[in-house]
Amino acid sequence: MTFDCTVRSCTVSSLNPLRTYQTMVTMRIYEEAVGAAVETGEVHGEMHLGIGQEAVAAALAAALRPEDAIVSTHRPHLHALAHGVDPVAMLAELLERDGLSRGKGGHMHLFAPERNFMCTGIVGAGAPIAAGYALALRGTGAVAVAVAGDGAMNQGAVLETLNLAALWNLPMVFLVEDNGYGISVRREDASAGVLAERGGSFGIPGATCDGTDPQAVLDALEPAFARARGGEGPAVVVAEVYRFRGHYEGDADQYRSPEEKASWMGEDRDPVHRQRALLVAQGTDASDIEAAETAAAATVGGWLAAARALPMPDPARVREDVIA
Amino acid sequence: MSTSTKVAPFGSQIVAETLLEAMTEDERIIVLGEDVARLGGVFGATRKLHAQFGSERVLDTPISETAFIGAAIGAAQAGLRPVVELMFVDFLGVCFDQIVNQMAKHRYMSGGRVTVPLVLRTAVGCIGAAAQHSQVLSASFAHIPGLKVAFPASPGDLRGLLLTALADPDPVVFLEHKWLLKTRADSQPWHEDEPLAVEPVEFGRLRRLRDGGDITIVAAGYMVQLAYLAAQELAGEGIEAGVIDLRTLVPLDREGLVHEAASAPTLLVVDDDYADYGMSGEIIASIAEALGPEAPRMRRHAVDVPIPANKALEELVVPSPTSIAEAARAALGCG
Repeated sequence: MTFDCTVRSCTVSSLNPLRTYQTMVTMRIYEEAVGAAVETGEVHGEMHLGIGQEAVAAALAAALRPEDAIVSTHRPHLHALAHGVDPVAMLAELLERDGLSRGKGGHMHLFAPERNFMCTGIVGAGAPIAAGYALALRGTGAVAVAVAGDGAMNQGAVLETLNLAALWNLPMVFLVEDNGYGISVRREDASAGVLAERGGSFGIPGATCDGTDPQAVLDALEPAFARARGGEGPAVVVAEVYRFRGHYEGDADQYRSPEEKASWMGEDRDPVHRQRALLVAQGTDASDIEAAETAAAATVGGWLAAARALPMPDPARVREDVIA
Repeated sequence: MSTSTKVAPFGSQIVAETLLEAMTEDERIIVLGEDVARLGGVFGATRKLHAQFGSERVLDTPISETAFIGAAIGAAQAGLRPVVELMFVDFLGVCFDQIVNQMAKHRYMSGGRVTVPLVLRTAVGCIGAAAQHSQVLSASFAHIPGLKVAFPASPGDLRGLLLTALADPDPVVFLEHKWLLKTRADSQPWHEDEPLAVEPVEFGRLRRLRDGGDITIVAAGYMVQLAYLAAQELAGEGIEAGVIDLRTLVPLDREGLVHEAASAPTLLVVDDDYADYGMSGEIIASIAEALGPEAPRMRRHAVDVPIPANKALEELVVPSPTSIAEAARAALGCG
């Protein structure tokens, strides 16, 4: 199964606002459902949700082609949905059932080889692997996306990969979801300089965009993808976002002030609400907006039911899949 | 010894020629690492590959082990078969995450949906370069579920095990002992066929190189050659020492070990990796678990401190034929 997150309008570079809204609502409900499963104990382990970062994923869905590769992070679900990873198999994996990885990967270690999708729980470790995909895909027009958070930009793995990507002219996009925090440490207390300029000394162009506005993200991604597809090498795109939840479910999250949270999570800046406001402002029928919301809820409800219908992982297979 | 009249190739040439042959047959194979292209490797094990296949398939990398080993993982998952060189195994520390958390785990964490068919070649062992350029670290790899570890002891196995590694669906750490790379193919103390004619050697099957009813010496890599020399020395004293070559540490031929352990009342494990929590303990434990009180008396002879720089001090730490023979005598109670 693949989540149909077709969000483009007929014009190549502009998003269809209503389709985009439905995609973002679907992503929001998906993550809320996973969060609820943590509450009930259905998920017993660590969980990092992407609530608040839907606009980036919606734009990513528009920029990606099926043959592209993504190596995502410890907060990977929305990128996976954006790239067409089976949402039911993924949900089953998150809910610790016989899912995408037979219960052996869990939410930080999702693999969908048919989409060249993977993620890693080690901060920054995905960038070199994305470079490897790019090396293998070079010359085909496909692109490898290395997703990183702002915190990962200080990892040697990412800095080494920026050099390698530029040196080998790899078709890569470094997508940085800058949510302002590495767990509790603020970006300004961890990162010197401007993140989008990190690639500058390697000759890699960078752009910063409003990560709460899907069209703004796409406007930043499009030239980066075009450049990579055209064989002109890598680019960095920094999307400024805010995570609405703690670093992980259960995080007391006292390191961020109520004022700061309110400034990002209010209806004027919440990316989902903002997209809805855009629709209203454009004169979209209220019934169409409601229909999109209903459809999103029904879609996720169907996925949840399908995922919960899957069995638990087979204990007899726990020692399989280590080596051939 | 080889009866060929022409000069036998160096071990490094055997690796290079095996790679050249494999790359000719399989276009998915790429080679990347520091100094592998223009120089042909600091030990010469990738010589002529760049001239033959060009920069698309033979890539000099920056000194960025994390980046290029990670790139090898991604490329493997995207359908290539990278052969990535970690110049000295001692550099493991700067790139261990990609090895321990990425390449070793992707098969398992994907429930078997992803494989990482790459070969991580790396030079190991002491050639007089002190603590940061003399280690073996074989157990550090073998400890991690998801990695296979091949450790050739002879020129023929350099080729035979490499051919198997190149066809394997999993990441294979291929440990090339520096002395094996730097010496000629007819220098091992037992007879072998022409190394470049060797067929693929199966993983997980040890071989017995010498029979002996008094003591069995188990080793891997170049230590097998030193153990063999020690056995010849012991034979002059009337001590019959058998010699076992493990060939691969993962998979480990536990069944074969248990079988071979029954051939003599005493067993000695020799290792130029560290003793503590290492291969020697693993082998002794495997035999003890299987045989219980029927197990032979077992001892180990391995490295217990960092490798010192001074030659005389180095000789006190790294196993040699003399020290192995001494350890065997001590194990037999006739030291």
